[in-house]
Amino acid sequence: VRLPYHWLCELVKVPGDPESIAAALAARGFEVASIQHGHQPVIDFEITANRPDCLSVTGLAREASAAFGLPLQRPDATMPPAGQPQPIDVTIEDAELCPRYCAQVFDVRTTGHTPEWMRERLEACGMRSISPIVDVTNYVMLETGQPTHAFDYAKLAGKALRIRRAKAGEKVTTLDGVERALEPDMLVIADGDRPQAVAGVMGGAHSEIGSGTKLMVLESACFKPASVRRTSKRLALKTEASTRFERGADVNAAPAAIERIAALLQQIGAAQPLGPMIDRYPSPFAPRTLWLRAQRIERVLGVAVPDADVPARLEPLGFTVARSDERGTRRADPGSAIDAPPASHLAPRAEWRVTVPSFRVDVLREIDLIEEIARHDGYTSLPATFPTLAAAQPQPDPRTLRDRRLRHVLTACGLSEAMTFAFIEAEAAAPFTSATKYAQEPSNGGVVAVENPLSEKFAVLRPSLLAGLVDAAAHNRRRQHHDVRLFEVGTRFSPSGETRAVAGVWAGAGTPAHWSAGARPADFYDVKGVVETLASAFGLALEFEPAEIPYLEPGNSASVSFRLTPEATQQVVVASAVRRTIGVVGQIAPATAEARGFPAGEPLWAFELDADALGSGHDGDDLRAESLPRFPSIVRDLSILVESGLPAAAVRGTIRSAAPSTLVHAIEFDRYKGKGVPEDRVSLSLRLTFRSAERTLTDAEVDAAMDRIVSALADAHGAVRR
Amino acid sequence: MDIGSLRQQFDADVSGAASDADLRGVRDKYLSRKNGLIAAFMKTLGSVAADERPRLGQAANDLKQHVEQAIEARLADVARAAAAGDRTARAIDVTLPGRPPLVGHRHPLTLLRERVESIFLRFGFLVVEGPELEDDYHNFEALNMPAEHPARDMQDTLYLRTPIPAPGRAATLLRTHTSGMQIRYMETHQPPVRLIAPGRVYRRDGLDLTHSPMFSQVEGLVVGEDVTLADLKGTLVAFARELFGAERGTRFRPSFFPYTEPSGELDITCAACGGRGCGMCKGTGWIEVLGSGMVHPAVFEAVGYDPERYTGFAFGVGIERLALLKWGVEDIRLFYENDLRFLEQFPL
Repeated sequence: VRLPYHWLCELVKVPGDPESIAAALAARGFEVASIQHGHQPVIDFEITANRPDCLSVTGLAREASAAFGLPLQRPDATMPPAGQPQPIDVTIEDAELCPRYCAQVFDVRTTGHTPEWMRERLEACGMRSISPIVDVTNYVMLETGQPTHAFDYAKLAGKALRIRRAKAGEKVTTLDGVERALEPDMLVIADGDRPQAVAGVMGGAHSEIGSGTKLMVLESACFKPASVRRTSKRLALKTEASTRFERGADVNAAPAAIERIAALLQQIGAAQPLGPMIDRYPSPFAPRTLWLRAQRIERVLGVAVPDADVPARLEPLGFTVARSDERGTRRADPGSAIDAPPASHLAPRAEWRVTVPSFRVDVLREIDLIEEIARHDGYTSLPATFPTLAAAQPQPDPRTLRDRRLRHVLTACGLSEAMTFAFIEAEAAAPFTSATKYAQEPSNGGVVAVENPLSEKFAVLRPSLLAGLVDAAAHNRRRQHHDVRLFEVGTRFSPSGETRAVAGVWAGAGTPAHWSAGARPADFYDVKGVVETLASAFGLALEFEPAEIPYLEPGNSASVSFRLTPEATQQVVVASAVRRTIGVVGQIAPATAEARGFPAGEPLWAFELDADALGSGHDGDDLRAESLPRFPSIVRDLSILVESGLPAAAVRGTIRSAAPSTLVHAIEFDRYKGKGVPEDRVSLSLRLTFRSAERTLTDAEVDAAMDRIVSALADAHGAVRR
Repeated sequence: MDIGSLRQQFDADVSGAASDADLRGVRDKYLSRKNGLIAAFMKTLGSVAADERPRLGQAANDLKQHVEQAIEARLADVARAAAAGDRTARAIDVTLPGRPPLVGHRHPLTLLRERVESIFLRFGFLVVEGPELEDDYHNFEALNMPAEHPARDMQDTLYLRTPIPAPGRAATLLRTHTSGMQIRYMETHQPPVRLIAPGRVYRRDGLDLTHSPMFSQVEGLVVGEDVTLADLKGTLVAFARELFGAERGTRFRPSFFPYTEPSGELDITCAACGGRGCGMCKGTGWIEVLGSGMVHPAVFEAVGYDPERYTGFAFGVGIERLALLKWGVEDIRLFYENDLRFLEQFPL
């Protein structure tokens, strides 16, 4: 809200320049957005939602008067002598939504004009001068915070104002010329026939005052904040009036604003009141009174406030403070249903009965009074202490540690961490939605849509982290970054909820370029190696199987699973599901990558795993250290010719089942097709390591084991030793 | 030839010999038992007068020793020179670049989040995490923001088209802040509480230099029988000092949040102007870091804590904002574009 400096000075004789006023009010909780210097200095404050009373010059002046300990001047609001009354029938039909409604009929004079000082102040607050009547009502709204509305008396059917809910099908054309359909829970001001204004939001065009208006009815009312807010949102119509009413209006400002407007209109010769002011206030509000305890002040703030300071800080803000007679008895905050604690052995502390002024709609309970006490000096007198720690902390969230471990492993694998948006275009999500069966959750497909996205770019929640990572890879390629290795740890969404995943993409070189040798392009085994390293970090033995996954290239992609231990299997709903699929690894389908701007003809390698399936991030909780082997091992290399399509895993499986337990390690070290190998065959070389924990093995027994392995391979796969 | 001339001749020979083979030749020439020059001289001693013999014999022995020592020394010189020559030939160019191992960088927001976590872990805080899909109760209502509360405008909310079933209440929105974790934790735990809850949050904001529809927060909550506003001030000041350095000034001043009362914001002195006032700090000399306050009694009532018995404080800090203040990242979009030229600026 904009506060013209000279206007403030008229109400409080503040010492100092606009900067010092701004600083003093900022310390009391009114953030300064800007200070405008010059002939008419203006301070722009950001008023928090709890202080509608400070959406006015008077409200800020009251704060300034409390800050500087100076009196607040009230402008003249003497009702001028009234002329002959004109009939007007005002009825509140819904007192819940409108607790108070004041109205005053005026005789409008054509001779009036807006004085220069008023025009200047309106402009300083960002308002145009329109007509003397409108200017005065706007001026008083800026001064007191109370919005008012003027109806053309001649246009009111039945000379009646009915404050009621809209009827089904009713419409009103508001002052901005828009016809608006009203709903039955919206409050309107109607004449005898139809709505003439949307209560607290905007007046109607039909009864708008103009140059031809002879008589007007001025409304000054109090509307229920939630109702005004709901109506304003529903109509997408935010006005100066609705902004104030929805935060809570001062019920006593309604008549006061009419008196002030009448005084000003009389002063500038624009109108004269006719008859008495009408004040409909069916159930007057009792002023709110609250208990305030010195002991509670100290417990909340951590510092004692001298008893004498309590009234000294509250009274300038409009509170009435009375020291309680019943010392030593403690009452709970009236806002809570909880009993007060027993009186302590300490000397009784002061208590006060505090009456809250009607404009402080935000002060509802004792804690709000404590805040008023505390903010007086901008918290500067508060000491800086540290809370005591009374007990050991419970276990932290295991996901925090796990995610940290994932990041360590993946950065060590050479991938940099990305963070991509959780909401993406529907089109970008589409290829990934049918793949939810690879997630932990049961498959039900589909995507989670945002009801009110700001744009189509953020329309749905990502079903996979890969959608964002493909975009990030494409972004880097557009910026001439050839080698892209990125990962993300984050949340993905399906109609059954949110889960955490870890995913990565790899494009460009598999080994970095160096002068000693050319770069090798990345391939499947680079990303598979990353997944295997992750598995080893989490103590999992993974299995990879060729898989058809909609967003991955067939033939270059695999599903990733692990066998559940017998113990874990019992916890699985379907007892037969001993293998759990936790993710995918492979090449992003070229169509999917190209659709997101990744260059055609280049592979983009990727993986994604269900992070929650990986287990905890604790280091070595289940680990038992193995002693080092005491006996030497014997290493044998084995080269065989097998059918091209035979998976290496099958060969390894046959070797393991044929070998004695002294085979401790088997690893492929060469795979060759070409000269010397028949067309449909492949030469596969493995290095087998034999070792016993009890004794030194002999060549003879290892030879025998090798013979058994070779014949098993021949039987199972028709393998021929080279 | 007398022994003196023989010595002179040897010295000339040895200094003329350059290679290993030459030196061995010189040694044979003088020391060979059969036809060495010293052996030949010894044979001439028979014709010398008897009283001269011991002196000349001694002189011949001295010369023999001299030859041996001189040849050994020169042989070693030649071997050293040869080795040095070999090394020069084999030397590598140490100024060529090394072979880069594959390394990855953590995201700057992760670096900061972990930094914040480590500071609060030292302060004895627990780290917890919560869901990103929330219900209205945990995100707003239990935090003293009932329906139609004007403070809801401060956080424009993204809603789900279809609610997602969850234990308790179905999720209907993307959480607008991490403050819902205050409720979730207090619902299931008794005081004392001392935690931080980092996580992603979402708002219906456009993407520009300073706004993002998704950003990261760290929520803090401390509840006990004697937790005060002074404790909040002390905790926040200690945190700001540790993160930004003791040379930056701090200021704790009143503010408003619906779920805390009294509320406060923490400012640090503007790094750009050192507190004198500039465009970055809108002339105030101060930059806002975070929002906080004493937990509102209504929040305690919502989770079944006795507000007469317990007091507490809560705070929320935006990680992107810390990154802006700490590293001068002026465009929030850089955090979500994942341009490697940006990511690789941050330490490994």
